[in-house]
Amino acid sequence: MGLTINTSQSSDGSLIRVVGEVDLYSSPELRKAILKAVPSAEGGLAIDLEGVTYIDSSGVATLVEGLRSAREHGTGFALVSPSPAVMQVLELARLDSVFEVR
Amino acid sequence: MDNSSRDLRLTVRSDPKLLGAVRSLVRSWVDSWDIDEKTADDVVLAIDEACTNAIRHAYEGRCDGSVELTLHAEPEHLEFQVSDTGVSCPCEYTERRPLRSPDVEDLQPGGLGIQLIHKVFDEVDFRPGESGGNCVTMKLKRLK
Repeated sequence: MGLTINTSQSSDGSLIRVVGEVDLYSSPELRKAILKAVPSAEGGLAIDLEGVTYIDSSGVATLVEGLRSAREHGTGFALVSPSPAVMQVLELARLDSVFEVR
Repeated sequence: MDNSSRDLRLTVRSDPKLLGAVRSLVRSWVDSWDIDEKTADDVVLAIDEACTNAIRHAYEGRCDGSVELTLHAEPEHLEFQVSDTGVSCPCEYTERRPLRSPDVEDLQPGGLGIQLIHKVFDEVDFRPGESGGNCVTMKLKRLK
């Protein structure tokens, strides 16, 4: 199972929808999409993780890097509907409270 | 029954493309023992992290190395071993450190995979391999 990444814009800001497995193989693609979206994400960037069935530490590190980049650009960064698989890893890494989760 | 009769031994290239297949195999092996689902998820993640570590650090991203996995069950615990023949990782990198909710500015996500391995397993032993490289042995207690 691969990874599908869709970026869209709305009046509320930018949204990146991620579906599939995020691991060492696929996380560079997600990193690229997030870092590309941050500078133009007026109104904030939201990452929809409802369809993520697996995430490893490289995926988590990518989300942390996105959050940092968003802060540098003075824009918001939130995770939307993270799947149980994502929450389990964020909790294990004790990073669940670092992100704004909607 | 001989304890080694249900061992799984696997050698894979150090190619990130193969990690999904490794996870599927590890998952089905772990599911053949009486392990709850959440623990099985964590074990699959931690084995994936050990393989990722071999690819990223021991082979420095090269895809032509080989990573060897051994999955073995004892009455008291499940034992997993991941070894490579790449560059030996410095000891301080594989040490256990506290994982606490940190300030995001101080976060060093580089070693996160190693810390997840320590968190998931009851015993973790990183050591240099017999003929160079690295070998990590991870034990999970089986609940009665």
